Amino acid sequence: MRRQLRSRRAPASPYGYRYRLDDQDEANQNYLADEEEEAEEEARGMVVPDLEEEEEEEGQEEEEEEIEEEKEEEEGQGPPTGNAWWQKLQTVSEYLWDPEKRMSLARTGQSWSLILVIYFFFYASLAAVITLCMYTLFLTISPYMPTFTERVKPPGVMIRPFAHSLNFNFNVSEPDTWQHYVISLNGFLQGYNDSLQEEMNVDCPPGQYFIQDGDEDEDKKACQFKRSFLKNCSGLEDPTFGYSTGQPCILLKMNRIVGFRPELGDPVKVSCKVQRGDENDIRSINYYPESASFDLRYYPYYGKLTHVNYTSPLVAMHFTDVVKNQAVPVQCQLKGKGIINDVINDRFVGRVIFTLNIET
Amino acid sequence: MQTKTLEIYSVELSGTKDIDQTDKGDGKEKYRGLKNCFEPKKNHQKEELKKELDLDDHKLSIKELEKKYGTNIITGLSSTQAAELLAQNGPNALTPPKETPEIIKFLKQMVGGFSILLWIGAILCWIAYGIQYSMNKSSSLDNAYLGCVLALVVILTGIFAYYQEAKSTNIMATFNKMIPQQALVIRDSEKKTIPAEQLVVGDIVEIKGGDRIPADIRLLSVQGCKVDNSSLTGESEPQARSSEFTHDNALETKNIGFYSTTCLEGTATGMVINTGDRTIIGQIASLASGVGNEKTPIAIEIEHFVHIVGGVAISIGILFFIIAVSLKYHVLDSIIFLIGIIVANVPEGLLATVTVTLSLTAKRMAKKNCLVKNLEAVETLGSTSVICSDKTGTLTQNRMTVAHLWFDNQIFIADTSEDHSNQVFDQSSGTWASLSKIITLCNRAEFRPGQESVPIMKRVVVGDASETALLKFSEVILGDVMEIRKRNHKVAEIPFNSTNKFQLSIHKTDDPNDKRFLLVMKGAPERILEKCSTVMVNGQEQPLDKSTAEAFHTAYMELGGLGERVLGFCHLYLPADEFPESYSFDVDTMNFPTSNLCFVGLLSMIDPPRSTVPDAVTKCRSAGIKVIMVTGDHPITAKAIAKSVGIISANSETVEDIAKRLHIAVEQVNKRDAKAVVVTGTELKDMSPEQLDELLTNYSEIVFARTSPQQKLIIVEGCQRQNAVVAVTGDGVNDSPALKKADIGIAMGIAGSDAAKNAADMVLLDDNFASIVTGVEEGRLIFDNLKKTIAYTLTKNIAELCPFLIYIIVGLPLPIGTITILFIDLGTDIIPSIALAYEKAESDIMNRKPRHKKKDRLVNQQLAIYSYLHIGLMQAVGAFVVYFTVYAQEGFKPSILADLRVEWENGNVNDLEDSYGQQWTWYQRKYLEWTGYTAFFVGIMVQQIADVLIRKTRRNSIFQQGLFRNKVIWLGIASQIIIALILSYGLGSVTALNFTMLRPQYWFVAVPYAILIWVYDEVRKLFIRLYPGSWWDKNMYY
Repeated sequence: MRRQLRSRRAPASPYGYRYRLDDQDEANQNYLADEEEEAEEEARGMVVPDLEEEEEEEGQEEEEEEIEEEKEEEEGQGPPTGNAWWQKLQTVSEYLWDPEKRMSLARTGQSWSLILVIYFFFYASLAAVITLCMYTLFLTISPYMPTFTERVKPPGVMIRPFAHSLNFNFNVSEPDTWQHYVISLNGFLQGYNDSLQEEMNVDCPPGQYFIQDGDEDEDKKACQFKRSFLKNCSGLEDPTFGYSTGQPCILLKMNRIVGFRPELGDPVKVSCKVQRGDENDIRSINYYPESASFDLRYYPYYGKLTHVNYTSPLVAMHFTDVVKNQAVPVQCQLKGKGIINDVINDRFVGRVIFTLNIET
Repeated sequence: MQTKTLEIYSVELSGTKDIDQTDKGDGKEKYRGLKNCFEPKKNHQKEELKKELDLDDHKLSIKELEKKYGTNIITGLSSTQAAELLAQNGPNALTPPKETPEIIKFLKQMVGGFSILLWIGAILCWIAYGIQYSMNKSSSLDNAYLGCVLALVVILTGIFAYYQEAKSTNIMATFNKMIPQQALVIRDSEKKTIPAEQLVVGDIVEIKGGDRIPADIRLLSVQGCKVDNSSLTGESEPQARSSEFTHDNALETKNIGFYSTTCLEGTATGMVINTGDRTIIGQIASLASGVGNEKTPIAIEIEHFVHIVGGVAISIGILFFIIAVSLKYHVLDSIIFLIGIIVANVPEGLLATVTVTLSLTAKRMAKKNCLVKNLEAVETLGSTSVICSDKTGTLTQNRMTVAHLWFDNQIFIADTSEDHSNQVFDQSSGTWASLSKIITLCNRAEFRPGQESVPIMKRVVVGDASETALLKFSEVILGDVMEIRKRNHKVAEIPFNSTNKFQLSIHKTDDPNDKRFLLVMKGAPERILEKCSTVMVNGQEQPLDKSTAEAFHTAYMELGGLGERVLGFCHLYLPADEFPESYSFDVDTMNFPTSNLCFVGLLSMIDPPRSTVPDAVTKCRSAGIKVIMVTGDHPITAKAIAKSVGIISANSETVEDIAKRLHIAVEQVNKRDAKAVVVTGTELKDMSPEQLDELLTNYSEIVFARTSPQQKLIIVEGCQRQNAVVAVTGDGVNDSPALKKADIGIAMGIAGSDAAKNAADMVLLDDNFASIVTGVEEGRLIFDNLKKTIAYTLTKNIAELCPFLIYIIVGLPLPIGTITILFIDLGTDIIPSIALAYEKAESDIMNRKPRHKKKDRLVNQQLAIYSYLHIGLMQAVGAFVVYFTVYAQEGFKPSILADLRVEWENGNVNDLEDSYGQQWTWYQRKYLEWTGYTAFFVGIMVQQIADVLIRKTRRNSIFQQGLFRNKVIWLGIASQIIIALILSYGLGSVTALNFTMLRPQYWFVAVPYAILIWVYDEVRKLFIRLYPGSWWDKNMYY
């Protein structure tokens, strides 16, 4: 079969002469191999006499495979080394698409479709398995309450305004340098507008947890945290949040954690000081609410799904007297039971560090 | 044979003679050295070779020689002279083939294989860090650190591979140095024993029977010296030496003894005329270094594999680099992705594993007496399809042994097995009594004293090969031969010489009543028969008539036709009246009768095949290996041995056999009918390469007889042209070029010369052909097991790669880090993949054809596809499930993870919301990410346990193979689990390693997938077994 194929191809090839030479060599080289192959095939035939009983399609398939094998072999043997690159290129292109045998990558269209069908089913079932697994996984996971929360505890701290950086550099006399802080704060506090809070949330008693028993899937009410609680830092009286006077307001919020409850009777407090350097660089800070703490009524948090309107409590720090024209590193820490604020690797757990550099 | 060989050598030798006839002689020594200083090294060597080739010292008289070498044959050289010459010419030893300098070997390990990819990765890391650093001075050191880790990995695996290589080379080095040779030399008028290495030109040395000649020497005085030149010319007959100049050609003249040949008997004094590499042997050995070293098949396979994996790594890397850039990722990020993809794709530990696996097999083979010099050669024997075996010593016992006897008109068969224990022929006849007496008495060979406890066949004998054979034969049958000889006192003796072609001795008999002398004689049968007038039949003397003579001739031809050396024996009782007790026999005047003797019998001897060889040859043939005999011996002997060991099978015939059977001319026989062929060197010489190719392909049973070293090379090349992997066995220096040229050269450990061992890749410590079969078996097993190891190792590459691809495209937090990948590749996976090397064969590997060099690749398409796209993907899926489980249970459901990457990795975002509205700081996320790494790692590890189990077999069910037969696998699995436990719980607090303590339940999430993998693979194997040859078999069997 092979020799026939060859003789058909040889004249068609522009490099026929070379080819024939190679083929002769190959014929010699393959002598042993061919014998082996035949022997093997015979052996197979003997071992499995019922092979022929299989579907005809299968039989055809096999024949094709044989051709492929031979083809592969030719390529494997290839023309001897030291050939011009174009011959290699020709081999490669013939491998990619052999018009004579209508094969691409040494497979016929039929073979390709079979391969594709099989892989389709294989991957489809694999996908089914993964879907099933993920489905069972979600069955075991409550949508209201994360299975584990210890990675997210103890709570982290973040400040506002925040725009990519924790360095507050601005010049009091140049509004352009601080205007974006004001806009950011205003935007952030939109959700805290008194009217909105009064409309959406309830006014719950301070100093105690706002526990809402009942089914997990019940919607939970949220406590009001009004913008007006922030007094001078609410932006209501001073729409520039003190930036225009060199007395910037910075809001501090604690990261939400489902089910997190600060120690009863001992709300988490915020205190800021100069992190490094002269402590007198900051002569006074006003905190709003004045207690400088997060009231217990904002805890626990029941999760995004049921506690839709939950409003994170804030503590505003009003740096009313900070040394100007120099960078002052400030560290604000949470204090309270169950709060850790000295993790070396994580500079945002229970504390936040930022610099104030106010120029006049 | 002799002339043939010499012709070939002389062509080479005289070919350069005329060129440098001009400068020669002692006075030119210094000048030559000077001149050479200015020449490039290569030229220098060439020149050297040419110069020394024209040897004419054999033509010179002793006086001229003394003058030429400034020595004196009585007093020898002075020590100072010798020291000077030693300094000038170097030690008298063959320069071992040029070793690659250690540093080059080391550097090769550093850049070979995947190392180059990892170097690229490391450099990319440093570049990335450089860019980061130039942009932001406080940027994290992660990338620089990763670069260092990658570099460290390369260096460590390189050092490891280098160490393994060096270790196996060292075995050889110590082996070589086992026996330092000594030489007896006259210096300062004193006899001294010095190491042969210190000999210099002009030294006067003395040699005696049993010594190896320590250098090329011109013999000055000789007493009955015979040498064995077989290692030089291949001829097995001992060669007599004398001090006369007998032939123009240095190789044929009798007054030269060659370096490394053995003096069998006698003594001689000679002057050293050439030392070290300048000896004839040295020059032939240097032929070997001219033959290029072929790449071993396994090296080609590994290269092929590295190309595949490297190709996949680079193309996926570049593809995703482009994708990343077009997805608007930062170029710097894209570079980091590229690094991750490379690291995930490269099986860092694999090459080290392969080295270990090979050296384990090498050790196992060393235990079975196959010493492997070059680690890669371990596998070569397994893919061998043609073995060109030397006859003497490899297939045969390398000692003459009595094979047949003819007396009383009958041929008797003697036992030729290694211990001779079973001599069953009829010993009751009176003829045997006489014959045994002749055998015992007419023999000059003696046992070396002090060997009473040594088995007879192993005792050392002084004497030539056939006399030794007869001595041992009679000792086995008759008992103490020396005692018998003592009782039958020898009164006269004529030793064998080539003109007489007989040997006789006269003895007093041990019968006190019989005062007659007994004359016993042995020799060439036709000569002996000429001298006889009577013949002994059944103990009775009868006149020698025509029919007896005919019977003799038939027997002689028959035994000769078996390739055996036949000796005739006769005796005569000298009449007591003519030869009284006091008679003085004179061997010079021959004052006794040497005709009208009584013919007693014939004895034929052969160097018999080793008893294990026929079985080994059968095994080789059933393993599809063609065994070709290549020998310097007679075609008849070669054919006889080939038949007896099965190289020519019992029912196959040569063209000549067919002609003989059909009584037609050889030319009329259809050559296709003959399966076997015996080709002599002369015929081979006239063959074109095409004819040789045709010969090699057309005949399945081939014997090459009377071949020269160069022809061995031609035969090996011929076989290699057939795409065969050729193993060559040999022992002599003359074999070394062929050993070097062969895909695997196998030298004999006991009989082999140093040059042969140097050129070989493997040394058979027991010189036994059967050890080759063991080697083949081990080689095939290691190939199969390497396939399993590689399949095992490649599988998890996909599971390591997918996270990066998904990370880039979907933007999930990175599921597995680069460092973690390294911990899989170089930690948990190492021992299981080595353990696969201990796997037993699935079926009888010795019943299958040798693998086709070009078709049966180590890593074929099926293996790659099955590992990557089937099991690998399943693993990736399983590991992702673990990853998603961890994230979901911590609060990040898969839906929120998509496209989270940018915020997730932003160190300034410290209130990132999860699916429950909780807010995470950057470090908390990072810690979760590492937990994810650990989870993914554990997921892969758990599934790799299933992977190593399924890789135990490729076709059989695991239950057929036995789940617990390979205990090392379980050790490997235990190591996997323990390493993972240590990483997670022990080192979980070391942040640099990116491992965290994982909740115990996560260890079991991937278990269903592990089971799925097992079941899937069992189904695959089931279909392969059920439908061999089907589409499934072709596409799913690797």
